[in-house]
Amino acid sequence: MKKAIGAALAVIALAVIASSAQGAPKVAVSATAGYSCSKSITLPFITPLTGGAGFLGQEQSSWASYAVKTLAPGMHLKVKLVLGDTPVEQGPAPAQALAQKYIGDPSVLAILGPSTSGGVAATSKTFFAAKLAHLSPSATRTDLTQGPVAQREGSPAFFRDVPGDYIQGPSDAAFMIKTLHVKKVVVFDFQEPYSLGLAAAATTVLQKAGVSVSRLSAPNTTTDYSAFVTKVPNDADIVFFPTQKPGDAQTFAQQMIEQGKKAKVFGGDGSNDPSQFKVPGSYVSNFAPDITGIKADASLINGWKKANPGKQVGSFGPPSYGAVQILLDAIKIACAQGHGTATRAAVFHSVKKVRINNWILGGTFRWSTKTNDPLNAKFYIFQIQSNGSYKLVG
Amino acid sequence: MDTFIQLTIDAVTLGSVYALIALGYTLVYGVLKLLNFAHGDVFMVGTFIGYGVLQELGGSSSPKLSVWLIIPIITLAAMGGCALLGITIERFAYRPLRDAPRIAPLISALGVSFFLENSMQLLFGATPRNYNAFNFGNGYLYLKGFQIHGVTVPLLRIVTVVSAFVLMVALWFLVNKTRTGKAMRATSFDREAAAMMGIDIDRVIVFTFVLGSALAGAAGVIFALRVPTTVNIGFVIGLKGFIAAVIGGIGSIPGAMAGGLLLGFAESYVQGYISTQWSDLYVFSGLILLMIFRHQGLLGRPDIRKV
Repeated sequence: MKKAIGAALAVIALAVIASSAQGAPKVAVSATAGYSCSKSITLPFITPLTGGAGFLGQEQSSWASYAVKTLAPGMHLKVKLVLGDTPVEQGPAPAQALAQKYIGDPSVLAILGPSTSGGVAATSKTFFAAKLAHLSPSATRTDLTQGPVAQREGSPAFFRDVPGDYIQGPSDAAFMIKTLHVKKVVVFDFQEPYSLGLAAAATTVLQKAGVSVSRLSAPNTTTDYSAFVTKVPNDADIVFFPTQKPGDAQTFAQQMIEQGKKAKVFGGDGSNDPSQFKVPGSYVSNFAPDITGIKADASLINGWKKANPGKQVGSFGPPSYGAVQILLDAIKIACAQGHGTATRAAVFHSVKKVRINNWILGGTFRWSTKTNDPLNAKFYIFQIQSNGSYKLVG
Repeated sequence: MDTFIQLTIDAVTLGSVYALIALGYTLVYGVLKLLNFAHGDVFMVGTFIGYGVLQELGGSSSPKLSVWLIIPIITLAAMGGCALLGITIERFAYRPLRDAPRIAPLISALGVSFFLENSMQLLFGATPRNYNAFNFGNGYLYLKGFQIHGVTVPLLRIVTVVSAFVLMVALWFLVNKTRTGKAMRATSFDREAAAMMGIDIDRVIVFTFVLGSALAGAAGVIFALRVPTTVNIGFVIGLKGFIAAVIGGIGSIPGAMAGGLLLGFAESYVQGYISTQWSDLYVFSGLILLMIFRHQGLLGRPDIRKV
């Protein structure tokens, strides 16, 4: 008996030591420690590469990789893109672990991402403490940059090159009112911050315009929406369905047809995936237009397609290219100021000096003077066509 | 009235899937007194096997065969694949622990569950897989059906419920009307006595796992015809199947069927009439009350202790 207890205690002790050794926070590199710009700079990209939102990370990483390959040499920078996977199903833990890892790496001067709003909320304060600028190409949650400073989920080191949900919710609602002339809308949420924020914003605008709004709330683990579809009134015009899983939007839309409901499904940017959500007549909003319609991007698109044979241009990739462009510009500015040496603090302070004239999403990219959001950014509305393609309608 | 009919259709569809999963739990518990927590992940593997075979047959957009052949083929493939998986799990994770204290195979079952989930993610990634049954014949399975009081019962729902019902009847027949079933019942009643009567216990146990896993595979295909599948889906659906088995009376086959249907009805009606937001809260609160007043489940036998 004593031997068994002793053996058990030994195992527990070993486990504690092993987990401590793996999980011990890395010693952060000082924000003012200089790093030679002639050495290889690591640019980590924190994004979901697997899981329900893996489509997002896969598309974004192909564009980020292309941006590093084509832009860095022209800036006389040696940059290595490193991918860190944060499946949404695992919550904030993977992002937090990656943050600790990258903070301890002196060759990291800035972070691309996290792609998800949850990832940003979990890591932003940690990155700010290390004066590491982190720029997300897709985290749109309102609270990251809006509201009282002390209550914002994003720190002053957080930037994004896409507009926030405080624009998406009202934009979507305005489209429903002015273009679709809706009278009755059902608004869903999934009991998590992304959808709750969008649902609240859209509901406010719709109700102000005299539209009848009913709310439905589904647990985030819901797979079968049949009972929810039953609750959609037969005379509803639109069901606003801001899920982060395009497969769920597809399931819901199909079950709407199955039960003979007439209302069209309107998804947010989280549903934007033509390979998964493709029920004709449905709507989807996104923070980027279809860049194949921008003439100035033609050669860029051709180059990306050559580097990624068989892949199609989506809406999530181009902002990632733009985000890399901004970060590389900031690093270049910091390197010039430091005469060949850059610090994390210098890169952080240089991000907002960046202005890009031929912005990949069209026009000029500038920062808002009040927040770390882009100036005059907007959301775009697409309608799914009979062949499954997304057509810009608003 | 329309709402009631639609919710009832939803309840029977969902309850049928829960019942099939619950049967697997109850079969294994009845014979081995083991809670096979890997069962939900066997269900998940079944969904992926069905998806893989469907793609080989051209997928739902360009099927090489009629949909009425494809559905039985992918179901049988999933049942066969899961049956083999069940045999493997029994042989390597449970048989060595047959005489160990009860906690040991329970921990092993949990380990198998995590192993299956992570292995599948490593092999296939975590991107959802969608059977896209809607694409068969331009929505034929969704748009055609029969009417009840103005409410359409789509073909896909009919296929789901009928398939589950046929499997349950087949299982009942096998357990109650065949020699093998008699051997299973004898083993579940008293394993030692059954062995003394000449029953090959190892073979009975393996057969039980084959049956239970095959049912999980079938449930997987039936479920995934309507809803996308991911490597994580086994946990939630498996948990509900387990709860259904306990509600019905763990170890009781009719109980597992009743428990699955009851859980399906409870979920559907609560979501439809009381609250979509807190449906799980209401449903499981009700189940806790049921367990307090009838701890052996609806059709389970109370424990009898000799004094």
